[in-house]
Amino acid sequence: MKKEIGIFSLIKRIAFNLMIIFILVYLLFPFYWAVNSSLKTESQLFMTPATAVPRDPVTLEFSPTLQNYAAVFQDGQFLRGLANSTIVATSTTTLALVAGSFAAFALGKLRFRGRKPALYLILAMTMFPQVTVLTGLYAVITALGLSARISMIFSYMIFTLPFTTWVLTAFFKELPDALMESAQVDGATPFQTFRRILLPLTAPALVTTGLLAFIAAWNEYLFALTFTSIDPAARTVPVAIAYFTGAVARQEPFGEIMAAASLVTIPLVVLVLVFQRRIVAGLTAGAVKG
Amino acid sequence: MAGKNDLGSTNNWKAPKKMGISDLARREERLAFRLLLPALLIILLIAFYPLAQVFYTSFTDRVFASGEETNFIGFENYRQLLSVHVMELEPVLDEATGQQLVDPDSGEKVFERPLDVLPREPNRYRELNQFDLLGKRYVIGATDPNFIEAVQNTLVFTAISVFIELILGLAIALVVNSKFKFRGAMRAAMLVPWAVITVVSARMWEWMLAPSRIGMFNALFDRLGLIDSPIAFLASGGYQLSALIAVDVWKTTPFMALLILAGLQIMPEDIFEAAEIDGAGKIRQFFMITLPLLKPAIAVALIFRTLDALRVFDIFQVMLGQSTYSMASYNYFQLIGNRNMGLASAIGVIIFILIFVFAVSYIRMLGVDEE
Repeated sequence: MKKEIGIFSLIKRIAFNLMIIFILVYLLFPFYWAVNSSLKTESQLFMTPATAVPRDPVTLEFSPTLQNYAAVFQDGQFLRGLANSTIVATSTTTLALVAGSFAAFALGKLRFRGRKPALYLILAMTMFPQVTVLTGLYAVITALGLSARISMIFSYMIFTLPFTTWVLTAFFKELPDALMESAQVDGATPFQTFRRILLPLTAPALVTTGLLAFIAAWNEYLFALTFTSIDPAARTVPVAIAYFTGAVARQEPFGEIMAAASLVTIPLVVLVLVFQRRIVAGLTAGAVKG
Repeated sequence: MAGKNDLGSTNNWKAPKKMGISDLARREERLAFRLLLPALLIILLIAFYPLAQVFYTSFTDRVFASGEETNFIGFENYRQLLSVHVMELEPVLDEATGQQLVDPDSGEKVFERPLDVLPREPNRYRELNQFDLLGKRYVIGATDPNFIEAVQNTLVFTAISVFIELILGLAIALVVNSKFKFRGAMRAAMLVPWAVITVVSARMWEWMLAPSRIGMFNALFDRLGLIDSPIAFLASGGYQLSALIAVDVWKTTPFMALLILAGLQIMPEDIFEAAEIDGAGKIRQFFMITLPLLKPAIAVALIFRTLDALRVFDIFQVMLGQSTYSMASYNYFQLIGNRNMGLASAIGVIIFILIFVFAVSYIRMLGVDEE
């Protein structure tokens, strides 16, 4: 009897690990291919058949090159782009989380007239394709005389604010009303209840939406391209990559693009590694599910 | 709870208490408005004018980036985009035999040319598709078949990719939610596809799907002996839409998975313990407890994924160029390529309406806006 259970749990463990390996390969393989391509020279990129590691076209020996990475760093645009992207994405996320969690507390936990219209109004601002609102947005920004970086931070609200508000509203609603009531009995104002009790409890949702919004802002291309057209110094990474010219005239520097893309993914992975612990905070802190 | 009864009651002896509660309600309302203020100010500042302008422009013939005079043309842009007409095609008869002509090359029966049948006034209709019904041949004509096709492509793309993403995202979230050694690293790895810059990821996939053995997939399939000649994944017809769905599923499943994971994390532990004691199996627990409790998290994840998928732009633009459009890439083509800003705005409004319908039906279906 006991032995049977042992075999059963062993099979379960193996199946579970196989599943994890399968998921990892599925999610990471294309990224591996980008790194692989970034370590190849122009002629290695065009080898047939494509090789799973950079190989010498003649001897087929393993021969990676760092020339693409060198070219990326020689291009001053890239490092400046990194700084710009960091500033813009961080500010966007902070603003979207603060304004979003305030609104979400009201929408998820307070009773007031006009709750539903407010929810739909906030969602409606992100229902248009980016291209369509671009001209109108550009007019607003010119009229207000905003700088390129500020323009990006505010215009990114169009897709981050509805997202943070809606996700957080859903999570606030899930928290038991008894929490608020008991805090009120203890003499806490609704806002104190929000800041001291509800907000820490929704930490998983805050971190999750924050990470997703940060990455969305980090990767945005169309608005950034438009608003930095008059101020090249404010270009973010995606725009900087698009302006790569490459060594060979009129040929797209594919290896360099892949090198830059691999490089900018690393800080994001570190960011997730740092913050992912917080995803397990909240109600179930310390608890383990089977 | 008690407050609702009191408010509905007309008994005089409850009056003092009633006052207190409505006072509290008013304070709650004021707090709600103050909390909403930052979000509303941002909307007013950044979204109000552009969105109002899109609505207005959709009723004009405005030309993008030009000084040409703009005229108000009512619903003309919408008529141009959405007019669809179904006509019967008469068989072409052989004058000698009275039988229907058969094309000697293809062996197919000959019908009238759609061009001769479809109306030309006020706008010219072009062929979208043909179909047979009850032995008769019909043609579907549209004044803008490219747009109708773009709508079809986008709807198919959205339905399939969002469905697969939901299933995969749920599975991955459940795996990552259980405890194992490298969980932290796994969660970081999980987000890599979402983290790769969208425009670059589209170029990367285009490279991997290249129609020769330069591309990873053709090289791999060739090595495995699955194909005789390279597949042109991104050429018109065939695999185009499937390839794009695969790319989108890869890219955005992490988004779904992370949102569902957060939903799993705030679930109260004691419910599962109680279910365990009651003898409910893991599968039963999943369907009876986990899934219903996850509904709000799944609903928002679905809403935002559907919303993004209906506006899909980058991968269609980069990977398919001008051969096949999504609604948003057709929108881009009309604005930048044709400089037809009025028509482009009308496309924007149509996309808006479609998304709105989807959002409302999700919210109704999953009951997330209930008090």
